[in-house]
Amino acid sequence: MLANFGALVRKDLILELRSGRLFLELVTLSLLILVVLLIAYGPSGSRHGAFAAAAVWVAMVFSALPASRLALAAEGDNDCIKGLILSPVDPATVYAAKTSVVALSMTAGAMITLALSILLFNLELSMRLARLIPVLLLGTVGLAALGTLLGTMTMRLELGDVMLALLGTPLYVPALIAGISASIDLLNGASLWACGPPLKVLLAWDLLFGTCGCLLYEYLVS
Amino acid sequence: MGNPVVEVSDLSVLFGLKVVLYRVEFKLYPGQVALIVGANGSGKSTFVHTLCGLTTPRSGTVRVLGTDPRKFSRSERRRIGVMLHKSMLYSKLTAQENLELYARLYGVSEPQQRAFRWIERVGLRSAAELMVHQLSRGMEQRLALARALLAEPEVVLLDEPFAALDEDGVNLACELLKEARDRGAALVLTSHEGSSPFIGAIEPLVFRLTQYRLHPVERENRRRGPWRWMLT
Repeated sequence: MLANFGALVRKDLILELRSGRLFLELVTLSLLILVVLLIAYGPSGSRHGAFAAAAVWVAMVFSALPASRLALAAEGDNDCIKGLILSPVDPATVYAAKTSVVALSMTAGAMITLALSILLFNLELSMRLARLIPVLLLGTVGLAALGTLLGTMTMRLELGDVMLALLGTPLYVPALIAGISASIDLLNGASLWACGPPLKVLLAWDLLFGTCGCLLYEYLVS
Repeated sequence: MGNPVVEVSDLSVLFGLKVVLYRVEFKLYPGQVALIVGANGSGKSTFVHTLCGLTTPRSGTVRVLGTDPRKFSRSERRRIGVMLHKSMLYSKLTAQENLELYARLYGVSEPQQRAFRWIERVGLRSAAELMVHQLSRGMEQRLALARALLAEPEVVLLDEPFAALDEDGVNLACELLKEARDRGAALVLTSHEGSSPFIGAIEPLVFRLTQYRLHPVERENRRRGPWRWMLT
């Protein structure tokens, strides 16, 4: 199973590196969101930590849906998804590999958004920013898990993109509330332990959709 | 002769209200090759899709290696090679990367070497590092055939394997299929009317798919002339 997982992740990473489309789309979108927020709130102010946290999360949410769609696009090419269904690979492994690649791309995108936020919002480089990393990682894993699940459900629909957004928006709300509140607290100086409750919500959300994906993927692709 | 590896009984497939296959009966034993001929839209691809579990029948039973194909275990899937109308190859991976990926997924030992050996066997050595979207349609078809036969499956299901192949390609494909048959694999192939006589070399049991049913083409009928039976 691990060998299959490795082979599928390698394949998706090669495809992503060759096209670079997913990563480029994430970075462009993040930059656009940050610039809009910067114009709206100006280059200086007392609540920049909150804006930066919000910007990173907005960028992550907006990038999760296209990221999942793009990651699945390769499987529609030449009916490759049928090749995977007919091969002796556990569908849960296919799901886990897809989610991992989407999460990796989103993590790279989130890190670049964070770096751009530091520059654009004049944030002080300190340990506070480093503390954001676990929160963002938990967020990207959950968003990737849910995005891959919903992306597979809607990939063959004519209005797949619309359905993806309609289904995804309400399901993202708990993660957004937990993720944004934890990020703001951390940027305002709270310790990681003090943000325990929202982090637990994020972890539970990741486990819920990760498990759902592993259990349901077989039915979704067949 | 043993037990049939492919057994279809009273199979009917409908798409909505449209009947595609109706009460089809079919059996195939190890080492046999079945060639299903029929006009475009006659249901050949649907039949292959049903045998590999991608299409759900309205009624009847399908057993491949003794199991309903929709309920195949991982080990049973490993014993079946499938080639469908589309190549199931990633267009932005090279020929070598594609075969190597599938070799790993099918648990083939020494995947890198085996993939390269198959690329050589289908005459694509010089194209091993080309991406699939850079290959011609015929080259892609050769690679798809290699993909289906890579793990030396016991049952091989091929939908239009000779489409887009030139004369050399058809000859090569027939040699590979004959080799698979000789090692005991059961093969189901489909082809539209007017296929190459090279196929005769693999001595297939021929079935014509018309009026939603499979009709065996008698050997007597086939002896009337080279491939004239196909036109009857």
